[in-house]
Amino acid sequence: MTSLTVEKPPSAETEAPTRGKNSWARRLTPFGYLSPTVVLIVVLMVVPIIMVISYSFRDNVIVQDNSVFAGFANYATVLKDPDFLAALKNTFIFITVSMVAHLLLGLGFAMMLNSPLLSGVTKAIFRVVYVLPWLFTIAVIAVIWRLLLDPSGVINYLLTTLNIVSDGVNWLGDPGSALWVVTFVNIWSGYPFFMISLLAGLQGIPGELYEAASVDGANPWQKFWNVTIPQLRPVIISMAVLDLIWTSQQFALIWMMTGGGPLNSTEMLSTFTYKLAFSEYEFSTASASAVIVLLLTMVLAFFYVRQQRER
Amino acid sequence: MTAPTTTLRSRRTLAKTGVIIGLILGGLFAGLPVLWMLSTSLKPNGEVFANPPKLISDNFSFDAYTQILGNGAQLRFFLNSYIVAIAVTVLTLLVAVLASYAFSRFTFPLSKTINAMIVSVQAVPPITLVIPYFGLVVGLGLYNTYPGLILTHMVFTLPYAIIMMTAYFNTLPKELDESVKVDGGNSWTALWRILVPISVPGLIAVGVYTFMISWNEYLFALTLTRTDDMRTVPIGIQLLMGQHSYEWNQMMAMSILGSIPVLVLFLIFQRRFIGGLTSGAVKA
Amino acid sequence: MAIRKASRTRLIGALTAATVALALGACGGGGSDEASDGTVTLEFAQWWAPELPAGSFDKIINEFQTANPTIKVKLLSGPYASTKQQLVTGAASKTLPDVVGLDGAWVNDFAKQGAITDLSKLMTDASYDQSQLASQIQLEGKTYMIPVVNFVYPLFVNQDLLTKAGVSKVPSTRTEFLDAAKKISASGGNVKGWALPLDTAVPNGIQNDVMSWLWASGGTMLADGKPALTTPQVKSVVDYVKSLNDAGVIADGSLTMKEQDKVEKFTTGQVGMVFDSLAHINLVKKNAPDLKFTIAPVPAEDGYTGKRGIPYASWGIGVANSSEHKAEAFKLVQFLMDQKTNGELATLANGFPGNKNAKPDFSNSDPLFEEAFKIYQEGTPANEFVGLPKSEDLMRSFDENLQLVLTGKSSVDDALSKSQDSWSSVIG
Repeated sequence: MTSLTVEKPPSAETEAPTRGKNSWARRLTPFGYLSPTVVLIVVLMVVPIIMVISYSFRDNVIVQDNSVFAGFANYATVLKDPDFLAALKNTFIFITVSMVAHLLLGLGFAMMLNSPLLSGVTKAIFRVVYVLPWLFTIAVIAVIWRLLLDPSGVINYLLTTLNIVSDGVNWLGDPGSALWVVTFVNIWSGYPFFMISLLAGLQGIPGELYEAASVDGANPWQKFWNVTIPQLRPVIISMAVLDLIWTSQQFALIWMMTGGGPLNSTEMLSTFTYKLAFSEYEFSTASASAVIVLLLTMVLAFFYVRQQRER
Repeated sequence: MTAPTTTLRSRRTLAKTGVIIGLILGGLFAGLPVLWMLSTSLKPNGEVFANPPKLISDNFSFDAYTQILGNGAQLRFFLNSYIVAIAVTVLTLLVAVLASYAFSRFTFPLSKTINAMIVSVQAVPPITLVIPYFGLVVGLGLYNTYPGLILTHMVFTLPYAIIMMTAYFNTLPKELDESVKVDGGNSWTALWRILVPISVPGLIAVGVYTFMISWNEYLFALTLTRTDDMRTVPIGIQLLMGQHSYEWNQMMAMSILGSIPVLVLFLIFQRRFIGGLTSGAVKA
Repeated sequence: MAIRKASRTRLIGALTAATVALALGACGGGGSDEASDGTVTLEFAQWWAPELPAGSFDKIINEFQTANPTIKVKLLSGPYASTKQQLVTGAASKTLPDVVGLDGAWVNDFAKQGAITDLSKLMTDASYDQSQLASQIQLEGKTYMIPVVNFVYPLFVNQDLLTKAGVSKVPSTRTEFLDAAKKISASGGNVKGWALPLDTAVPNGIQNDVMSWLWASGGTMLADGKPALTTPQVKSVVDYVKSLNDAGVIADGSLTMKEQDKVEKFTTGQVGMVFDSLAHINLVKKNAPDLKFTIAPVPAEDGYTGKRGIPYASWGIGVANSSEHKAEAFKLVQFLMDQKTNGELATLANGFPGNKNAKPDFSNSDPLFEEAFKIYQEGTPANEFVGLPKSEDLMRSFDENLQLVLTGKSSVDDALSKSQDSWSSVIG
């Protein structure tokens, strides 16, 4: 699931020298296989991206018929906006904390689900329970959590009844806690796929490696660090990067839970851009902001591709 | 003589208890919000914010479910979701298999560039593309059509599907498809006669993943459709959130109903799903 | 060799399949909306149908189709929260439906974008009698939106909670309101006096729950079309809201509370008083049949005797600039504004008609509704956000500054002068 270019099957090249005559056709064959993908991605992805880039260098796009060239002015506006910088910081916290938590929870749950101590039925039941958060569309996740986290909602009710807190906590309404709460909800909704991938990774680790470690007298902790983690490393790295990319695109969850508030404390790059476009009608500036977001996520993608090549 | 075995056994019991407690705690974390969804779907709207909250209402009823299931317009959302998600899954698998085959079995110029491009596409935040994308879809005449929605979802499901399938193909020995060629077959026959049949676990993993993404996609499903006969379940759920108030129980009932196909899919395929990921994940 | 060729053919086949998928859709999408028999199909995008009793809006539209056999209407209903985004997106690609439901707060933006057309011209072309319209939303002397149904936002009061708190009279001044809110909040059981939804995703709370204090006392936030937020009137409102907050009478979670939450809090008896749309009388009754509540005008400044402004919101209607059937589209507008239909629609929606001569039918509705109609007729509808450019953004920037005041991070004066600056950059 992770590698694109590594470990080409050894005989990949043998075809070429034997059938030189048809080299023209042969060279085109892989492009033929790729063509549906490339056509789809170029038409439906590259074209709109180029349009957004061109908007970002103009003024008055969309809202007026005649737009004018503006150079980098829109970029300057965005980069100077303190709200943008705050959104950048929030997004950074949001995606890194989410990713680390997805990894830790995913790994923890996957290891429990892979435990040899439990029967297959138990594991199957819990596997289903653990993927539940994955089954719902994001709008419902936002709504159900708003309901649970309401100042007089279930969570506060439980906490006060159990005397953990004396007064209900103002989860989403407090600028100090809102970002963490939104991150928590994102952690809840996003860990299952990470978990499943790690579970798959765990099941692929050859048992002999553990047996060998036991023979060497390793305790469970040492086995974890010396066998499990190194074996899972490729999955962990690629899932981590993909998770950062996926989480950075999260818009609906934040928009529906807090709208970026209170006091911009949950403002993300995605909500910031959305407000610029659909509330302030500054489509040019919004496009500039979008391009900056695009460049930032491209850095992640670049890192991902490079990491794939190194392996 | 018995001492070491007892300690070993009690240690195992201790470890097992630990794991079970951990599993239950994790299960509560994962499952409680869903349980509350279920509970909300079974109570009258007036009791949703009741304080103190009640898990099972005195006025417990399945009304919300009968309302959804008895309403043709709502059922149409489900039908649309099935059409779109199944088409997306089948087409994604087809297109991804072809592309992954190229990446796994051929060396060609630009391979890495195209590869990087496909991965980077995932990095594009969809919300930033809505306006030009919409214009494009209208221009292509795909606005408010199934193909428009299907092709759009494919753009988002393809990259990861290709990544997974390429990794899966890479785990299969090259000698397999070579043998076909020795027998006079070509790369096309090798792909469909040999590789695809033995890649079923991988295909299932990719298929389940793709189906889930498409089934729950919201932003484009909303933007690219305008009539109710083209809209999918996530939009139907949002239509129950009014300007001033929510139809809580119907909304939750529809979410629960909407999660069932995905759950069933996971239940049927979970072993193969995980197995399919395994081969790709570890041996790659 | 032959096999190679075959494989290439199949590859091309796969390629064509992908292209065909694209092309097929291309053919499917481009249908004409004018059939051979001269029937015109109008698309009407709105969020009203889901808000009305099931099927009732279709019935009204059917009546229109019966009366105009050459016009067919296709209702496009969307969720309210995303209606605006859909319209902006549609307008950008000139694919706006022929007739669109509008909120007064959007009109300026859509008119400037060239998305909606000048209705004055259509009215003249159709020799329409404009005097029957209660109001028209204009920009530079041209009408762009006609309010079809108006919803007023009176004060909803939970009488049980009021009695329990020992307050005998429904508050009608700010002092009485603060006093009542304090007593309700002190009556125990986690109940608060008032709810203030300030969520910034849809910052309507500024209009419905904050500025309503201003308008009720005859105040204004604009002077000659320019922002005037640093006036004593506006300051007194923000000071007052702050005093409510300091007194701890506002329900928790205010900074991310949504309109829908506010209604729920009132319905479940967790909040004693809210400003809310009249349309909610039925909803509250349905969800809480035992709740005893009444409605009253929004409290005014102590000693104020003038006419009270009543905040309102509208279901407005406009016609797309890109529509090829503007005359037919206006027929639909005309039909919805017709004395009889408009009265029916207003009754269904629990609002007040946009046609002056139309009377809502009180016979089957709640007595409170008639009461509200009295309040409505005694006061003047007030909503200064209607017709302003980027109104949602104006509300949001005011909202953010108000949040700073309520969290003690800014003084009232600073917040107002900052809001004044940010508003000035938009409508200065």
